[in-house]
Amino acid sequence: MEKVNPAQNVADLYRISAERFEAMPAFATRRKTLNWYPISFRDLYEQGLDLATGLIDMGVEAREHIALFSDNRFEWILADYGVQLCGAADVPRGREITDEEIIYIINHAEVRVAFVENEKLQNKICRLREKLPQLREIILLDPNGSCQSGVRALLDLVSFGKQLRTDGDKRAEKRIESIKKDDLFTLIYTSGTTGAPKGVMLTHANMISQMEAIPVPISCTDRVLSILPVWHIFERVFEMYTIYSGSCTYYSSVRTLAEDIRHVQPTFMGSAPRLWEGMHKRIMEGIKIAHPVRRALFHIAYFLGNQYNDSMYYLWGNKLKTKKEPLWTRLLLMPTHALRWLIVMPWYGFFNAVVLENVRLSTGGSLKATVSGGGALPPEIDRFFNTIGIPVLEGYGLTETSPVVAVRTEKQLIIGTIGPTVPNTEVRIVDMNTNEVLYPNSKYPDKGRGFKGELFVRGPQVMKGYYRQPELTEKVLQDGWLRTGDLAMMTFNNCLKILGRSKSTIVLSNGENLEPEPLELRLSQSHLIDHCMIIGQDKKFIGALIVPNIDGLREKGVKSDSLSELVKNKEAHRLINDDIREKISTNNGFRNYEHIRDFRLLANQFEIGVELTDLHKMKRHVITDKYQDVIHEIYSDETVNAK
Amino acid sequence: MQIETQLLYMSDKIVLAIMIFIIMFGMGASLTYNDFRAIGRHSRGVFIGFISQFGFMPLLALGLSYVLHLTPSMAIALILIGCLPGGTTSNIFAYFSRGSVALSVAMTTASTLVAIVMMPLLLEIYASGYVHQISASMQAEGAQGEFVIPLGDIVSSLVLVLVPVGMGIYLRKKSPPWAKTVEDTAGFLAIIVILYLLATALIRHNELFLSTPWELYAATILVGLIGILFGYWVARLFRLPPIFQRAISLETGIQNTPVAFAIILLSFSDPIQSQMLWLAILYSTFIVAVSSVVTLYYRKIGKFDWEIYSNTIVHNRLFGDAYETRYPKGFLPKRIDGDPSQGTLTRPAKQKS
Repeated sequence: MEKVNPAQNVADLYRISAERFEAMPAFATRRKTLNWYPISFRDLYEQGLDLATGLIDMGVEAREHIALFSDNRFEWILADYGVQLCGAADVPRGREITDEEIIYIINHAEVRVAFVENEKLQNKICRLREKLPQLREIILLDPNGSCQSGVRALLDLVSFGKQLRTDGDKRAEKRIESIKKDDLFTLIYTSGTTGAPKGVMLTHANMISQMEAIPVPISCTDRVLSILPVWHIFERVFEMYTIYSGSCTYYSSVRTLAEDIRHVQPTFMGSAPRLWEGMHKRIMEGIKIAHPVRRALFHIAYFLGNQYNDSMYYLWGNKLKTKKEPLWTRLLLMPTHALRWLIVMPWYGFFNAVVLENVRLSTGGSLKATVSGGGALPPEIDRFFNTIGIPVLEGYGLTETSPVVAVRTEKQLIIGTIGPTVPNTEVRIVDMNTNEVLYPNSKYPDKGRGFKGELFVRGPQVMKGYYRQPELTEKVLQDGWLRTGDLAMMTFNNCLKILGRSKSTIVLSNGENLEPEPLELRLSQSHLIDHCMIIGQDKKFIGALIVPNIDGLREKGVKSDSLSELVKNKEAHRLINDDIREKISTNNGFRNYEHIRDFRLLANQFEIGVELTDLHKMKRHVITDKYQDVIHEIYSDETVNAK
Repeated sequence: MQIETQLLYMSDKIVLAIMIFIIMFGMGASLTYNDFRAIGRHSRGVFIGFISQFGFMPLLALGLSYVLHLTPSMAIALILIGCLPGGTTSNIFAYFSRGSVALSVAMTTASTLVAIVMMPLLLEIYASGYVHQISASMQAEGAQGEFVIPLGDIVSSLVLVLVPVGMGIYLRKKSPPWAKTVEDTAGFLAIIVILYLLATALIRHNELFLSTPWELYAATILVGLIGILFGYWVARLFRLPPIFQRAISLETGIQNTPVAFAIILLSFSDPIQSQMLWLAILYSTFIVAVSSVVTLYYRKIGKFDWEIYSNTIVHNRLFGDAYETRYPKGFLPKRIDGDPSQGTLTRPAKQKS
């Protein structure tokens, strides 16, 4: 069967898939445990055309922005079909959207028509209507919800459009033909880091280019479980990919995930680090309460798996290489690894079949691979799943790159990296201080592999820009090169390794973005605190590294002459803790995820030239490197060592 | 070839007996009442498996003994191997070769039950020629009496072997988690036992490997391999779906060797006992290797069929039994296009209730 879908835009992709996959199920929604409702590619496309016709009749123009505020459900994808097929672009956001976000997004994107998921959201948006002068129409997705006056029901609009089409309305088909590659298919507002949210403009060409980026070939026989919010570009691209490939997407939810995995037996899924952390915890708990013999068998199996994989990675050149390997070590290690590989193989074969297969059943037993993105996968978790034989392909990208820039492939499954860049994509590693291109640069040995710097990307997936914010766009996008704000390195086996952030923005593992500076500013107003740095990149919560102020504490009655004594002083901890709670609280306008859950006092001052720049700004990556043990301690009972 | 000294010492035999007990216990622990009912549900597959297992395998063993000119005692051992019922190992291989585990389990269960009648009967039919040869040579050496296959002993060892199986079934009913533990442990032990026997043979009788004629190596490899191929083609001939072909194939070639060890230990005496044991050890070793290779091959060729099959299963599970998966034109190869069995394999059970 032909693999390449020749679609030029998203609407075209929907049309071709309908023609090609006809009656195969495209999406399935859960009603009860074992009662799911499928919709075929053909039906979905037809209903999408009906909706598009209804929208056109309502006055929706080509290239108009239509808000789509909903979490994963069948009506989401139907609404998206409708929007794409009438040549418009959607502005997606989840159902937990706040009032401020609604007002900002609708007004900034000049939205006239909005889809809302449920009654609650409908009431919310109706209440705000005075502040939304441009908004004309609201359409309710939930078929069980009742519409307020002036709000239309999705299904009514679909049947209205269907009537028009039976009467010979061909406006939707005409719209599809007029879509240009450079038109937007979506406008995604990323959660505000500095000030207002930014509207990322992604074009049809952006999305179509991504279809070649995902390294797992799937077809009509595959089942894709959807668990991440579809209004994130990361999940969106996978749903698009399943439509493109003729696979079926099964909508699951966090609550029913474990059960759904068993019943759906997915062959592929997009996933986030948190999902694997949770899965890892569940598996380890299961093993802890298992019979001692079975527990021992698991540990033997895991040990063998580690040995086997380690040698295999080495032999196939898939071991992380951040330094160039001298020839003589290679000559020495090659036969050693070959020998170990051969010795371990039969044992591993047995344990793999008898023990590890049972563990793999916790993910349904049919998983070919999964792409993890939306945050860094903790290395232990990464190793765990790859060792027990579930290939977790870590990928990397931003909303601005729609999203995939690089992803591991089955051939280049190098733990600790995010894999090679996807086709037609160029990357640069740029020195943060001098702006010199470190990689690729023929001046340096191996073209500059192994150097650390800021990652720049150029390729067909890079966004058109931020909507109505040319200055902001210019800051990050020049000559097609997008500045990612991440530190990276090109390894010696041509994979990218992410090493942290060059911008100070912290992205928590739940996807929340926050700027540390306002928090740090607030905290350094305390008399007890000299310096403080907020941490928490890829973690569940934020923490703080604090250099206490000796004089301030002495005034409060803590007698101590050195910082290293203070580190052990309980009273100092208590005082600072109280101060933090008071300064950063919900009452002061800080959000829940901005609360500092844990902190550590440091035994040394920050010094100019070391931890601080000449302008007294903190060098975050230096501090992070220096105090990595302390940071590790703060987050040690997260994930792996969870009780 | 003659084995001068005893192949196994008394201590080894005790260890072996305990292992057999645990392995058979583990086999029982993997069975549920449902598996017995499954025999009826898969009657066609079980019947075809029965033909290749009890009809073809002993014949194959006899043919190989004849063609390769095996000594009478070796020939009897090979025929004994040919007459064995299926073991749990075949279920594991069926699983990994993307075959029908349900059918494999049903065939194992059915053949174990039938073995009490079939094994003595088949041995009587196929081995009698070799028995006469042994008797003749014994008398030529001036020994008294005749060599006979102790059929009574064989039946009683079979019954004895079924006792732990029964206990396992009981355990499974009482405590599934414990049963699971026993099942895994037994699977692990099975491998250890074979390696242990091989190692002891290697250490104490290292000349044995060299003095073993190539015919014996060939016979022990071929009996499994040809059995596997035969099962596959018979199932294909009867137009069974691919997942059944693979299950029957492996079930035919993979025999329950612990039963063979038990029978040899309990029913025969030296010097024949040691020779028979040696053949059983060789067969056990080679069949694991042969089945592993075959399984890897089946996995590869069966990948597409299996994906279609499991997709249909999931569709029917979630969308209801009436849901029909209609693949786009040209997606399915002719081989399985329009084959209702690809989708309806697991459904008869539901239709009944």
